[in-house]
Amino acid sequence: MDQVKEYKKEGNPFRLFADHLNAIGTGIKYFVRPQRITLRYPEQALSLPTGYRGMIRLYKDVCIGCTLCALICPADAMKMVTEGGKKFPSINYGRCVFCGFCVDVCPVDALKETRVHDAAFTNRRDLVFRPDRFSQDFDQPIPYQGVVKKVKAVIDEKKGIIYVPDE
Amino acid sequence: MDGVLYALKYYFFYPSFFGVIIFPGLIFTSIILLLTIWFERKVAAIVQMRVGPLYVSKRTGGALQLVADAIRLVFSEIIIPAGVNPTLFAMAPAIVMIFTFLPMALIPFSAIPQSGSVLSPYFHIFYDYNIGKGLLVGYFVPYNMILILGLSAIVPISILLQAWATNNRFALVGAVREALLSVSYDVLLVMSLAAIAIEYHTLDIAKVTESGIPGIIANPLAAIVFFVGMIMATGRFPFEIVEAESEVVVGPSTEYSGFLFVLAMAGSYIATFALSFVFSDVFLGGWLPFNGLPGALWNSIKAIIVLWFTVFLRSVYGRYRIDQALRGSWKYILPVAFASLVLGFVVGWLWIR
Repeated sequence: MDQVKEYKKEGNPFRLFADHLNAIGTGIKYFVRPQRITLRYPEQALSLPTGYRGMIRLYKDVCIGCTLCALICPADAMKMVTEGGKKFPSINYGRCVFCGFCVDVCPVDALKETRVHDAAFTNRRDLVFRPDRFSQDFDQPIPYQGVVKKVKAVIDEKKGIIYVPDE
Repeated sequence: MDGVLYALKYYFFYPSFFGVIIFPGLIFTSIILLLTIWFERKVAAIVQMRVGPLYVSKRTGGALQLVADAIRLVFSEIIIPAGVNPTLFAMAPAIVMIFTFLPMALIPFSAIPQSGSVLSPYFHIFYDYNIGKGLLVGYFVPYNMILILGLSAIVPISILLQAWATNNRFALVGAVREALLSVSYDVLLVMSLAAIAIEYHTLDIAKVTESGIPGIIANPLAAIVFFVGMIMATGRFPFEIVEAESEVVVGPSTEYSGFLFVLAMAGSYIATFALSFVFSDVFLGGWLPFNGLPGALWNSIKAIIVLWFTVFLRSVYGRYRIDQALRGSWKYILPVAFASLVLGFVVGWLWIR
């Protein structure tokens, strides 16, 4: 019935030795001709596609305070707060799972997904965005040394993945 | 004043001090150790299409990463677990280190000509009557092949002691693996060197080197067997079974931290370097065609190439299971070792006088 598939064992020891030499040769080939596919992140960054589910931002003047976003949020990240008699959503990025339900459910498109995903916070209080902070543009990350090069990944037949400058 | 300078120079270049402590001994070995670990990480990264250590001094490709790691390890706290004998616990890695390094005091690094070299004053003190020259060696023994093998055979016992002293289950599993493996690799090392000894009619490594015929030409089978035994003895891939990180943490040195961990981990690299010197002397022609200090440098370059090739294997191979390694060594490599013995008999009888 459920037998383990037996592979035919190579009986010829010379063949085994040749296989070892072949493996070492392949390693040496990769060593003398490096094909690195690492993205050097702080200096280079991938230019993200439109519709990327990054950090969410609020357009405060569009929002009608219908509380649908807080209702649908599966992680309880969205909470409604009252400011000047009007309800606005606030978001806690410590809980947010970036599912994008709030953006989809918004009847007036007051929530947008930005293409920023590399944000860092120094304490937990900073993770909670009140409506006034929630309705501001995100700062682009500060370049590590010099300028951040925007690149995009392209499939190359010989090298696998290569990164070409975008725009 | 000149007398003092002369005396200083005399004692500085005295082979027992210079060869063992400075070059190519302890200090040189420590530098090579750092470079080797950097090279190991870098070459594995390159073969696996990564970059490897880079951000500590970008200009040199992250070469200072290892210096940073070494400083961090040396200054981190040494934690001694409750329920161990602290003396044995602290002593065990030092014993491993000592017995991996001791063969370096017996391996001939270079020959000393009667005149013309900075080492020539020691020609008569380190005179090797087998080859009619002096030797750059810590302590000259005419039967150094046996003594080197004997000293490196103590290492597994000290690893067992280390594992037993740490009182850790992963360490014990690693030690049992070491005990199982040591039976097979010691046989390979002894048989390949026995083939060479029969072939060259000597137990003196210097005479093998000075015969002018590299062992890899005279007996390639023994070279293969010795190389496999070497990577098995020192836990390089694909035989990194004792310290298998994904199975038994780091094997016998699981409980160690700080400087004791450095000692425990450096042991296997130093053992590889010492055996690389033996490989270079016996199979690759050692210091020939130079002698004196350039000969030692040339010998070291060969040994470093062998050492770096063994660490390069990490990027090629996976890890064998213990039964695969034992089957490989007893079923495939041991017959090759017997064949190398026969080849040694025949070639030693027909060609090498």
